[in-house]
Amino acid sequence: MKKRFWVISILLLFAVTLAGCATTGDLEKVQAQEKQTSVKAEQALQAAQDAKAAAAAAKTDTAAQLEKANAAAMKAADAAARAENALKMADERAKLAEERAKVAEEKAMVAEENAKKTDAIFQKSMKK
Amino acid sequence: MCRIIDVSILSAGLRLIVLFIFILSLLLSLLLSLPGCAVSKNVLVMPLPAPSPPVEKIERPEIPVVLEEKIESNEFSVAKEADVIGRLAFIMLEKGDTLPDIARHFSLGFNEISAANPGVDVWVPEAERRIILPLSFILPDAIRKGIVINLAALRLFHFKEDSKSPAVSTYPVGIGTEERPSPMGQMYVERKMVRPTWHVPASISEDHRKKGDPLPAKVLPGPLNPLGEYALYLSKSGYLIHGTNKPTSIGLRATNGCIRLYPEDIKKLYENVPIKTPVSIVNQPYLIGQRDGVVYMEVHAPLENLDTDELDKIYAKLKNIEKKSTRKLDWKKVETALAEARGIPVPIFEIRQGNIKGDEKITEVKRPNKFYGKPEIPEQKTEAWYVLAADLRDEIEAKRIAAIINHQGPQIPARVVSESDRYRVIAGPFNNIREAKDAAKRLKIDLEIEGILIEPVRKR
Repeated sequence: MKKRFWVISILLLFAVTLAGCATTGDLEKVQAQEKQTSVKAEQALQAAQDAKAAAAAAKTDTAAQLEKANAAAMKAADAAARAENALKMADERAKLAEERAKVAEEKAMVAEENAKKTDAIFQKSMKK
Repeated sequence: MCRIIDVSILSAGLRLIVLFIFILSLLLSLLLSLPGCAVSKNVLVMPLPAPSPPVEKIERPEIPVVLEEKIESNEFSVAKEADVIGRLAFIMLEKGDTLPDIARHFSLGFNEISAANPGVDVWVPEAERRIILPLSFILPDAIRKGIVINLAALRLFHFKEDSKSPAVSTYPVGIGTEERPSPMGQMYVERKMVRPTWHVPASISEDHRKKGDPLPAKVLPGPLNPLGEYALYLSKSGYLIHGTNKPTSIGLRATNGCIRLYPEDIKKLYENVPIKTPVSIVNQPYLIGQRDGVVYMEVHAPLENLDTDELDKIYAKLKNIEKKSTRKLDWKKVETALAEARGIPVPIFEIRQGNIKGDEKITEVKRPNKFYGKPEIPEQKTEAWYVLAADLRDEIEAKRIAAIINHQGPQIPARVVSESDRYRVIAGPFNNIREAKDAAKRLKIDLEIEGILIEPVRKR
């Protein structure tokens, strides 16, 4: 019985000892993990801060860009309006020029006809 | 089964081979096409053509312009076997010049100067413009004896028999209208008359009566006589070669069948033509002639009563010339000359190569201080009568009308007076109301102008 008791005790001790050794390793492991996590957390925080800063900066940039874009859009709209206006004016000018050319052509035709008529009358006047 | 597999393998192999060959041929053709498409064509498709000789850049020297005081207009010697006389020249215009004034000064007709200078306003040409003086002529295809008149060219040629070397005098003429054309054929000078009386033919008398301008049975010598100062009566009854009181009509179809000359030209002809001189009247709008181994062609606008065979005859003549020569005729030049009908001899063919030397020089005739026969406009007088002939907005048209009135025969002086934006054509001055009324009547009958009499400014 005693013997059995001693064997069980030794086995238990051995088991406890063994169990104790595993816990220390684990602890070290956990500690290392914790350290790593901490570093990572630090890094993440830093990254987050950086991201925040970047986001803030980006926000500022976006605002500026938006402002710029707005200004550009306004300019573009203005330019488009002016271009349209210019086109309209050019169109009107072209129409006017066309009308003038037509009038000039008609005048030239009338002048030519007059000249022909005058010439015919002159030739007739040269008869006896 | 096995056979089928074998065949498919074989066909796949064949396809690969074909593909390989195709790729190879593509690569080859790509390599060959690199130097240029033309080369590849030549190499692969056709033999290389003989290389064309390098085009020699002909540097034409600037043609020198020779300024001359005078140029011969009427008297020419005829070189042996030559049909072309005279030479072309040009004159620079000044403000106020008209083509009829230049024409008369150089003994050219209205038709000749206007045909030689197409697009130029006859009455109001631009100043500082070159005007061609077409003083080169191809002699008509007729016996060179006595007088030959080419109706199509509106020109008379007088061949002199007594001179040692053959010579010809030439003058522009006015001829009959379409309704009353000049006769054609052989005739001779029957008699001559200085200061002839015009016995008005019944048909003309009737025409004038209808126009409201009745004529007397005969018109005595003087400014109103249309025969002018000299007349050659032809054997063909009723037809004359005479002067005119309307010099601007020379070069126009304006007579009742007679032949009119400038007053200064009829004087010369009258003095040089004896009675019995043969007169040949022809109608040759297409003329071909030679001078110094070069064939020239002169084309005039044909009259409406022209025989249609005339053009065929000319083509046959040209083909014959080409046949006799080893060289090809430039038919494009012929077509151009026919289309333009400028009345100027155009070189179309060199019988032997190198005869066309080009225009070695261009003659510019110095503009005279005064053109012979140019109508003069007397100074304005406040105490004179005038006729308002036109009131226009167009300055050119006003100038044209004034010029035409000035060139009537006898002259009616006229000028353009500008008033703000209006241009008034004023005829005058006239010494009295009768003269002014006569002028107004002539403006109405001859030019369809309703003139308004302008009274003199009365002195208070």
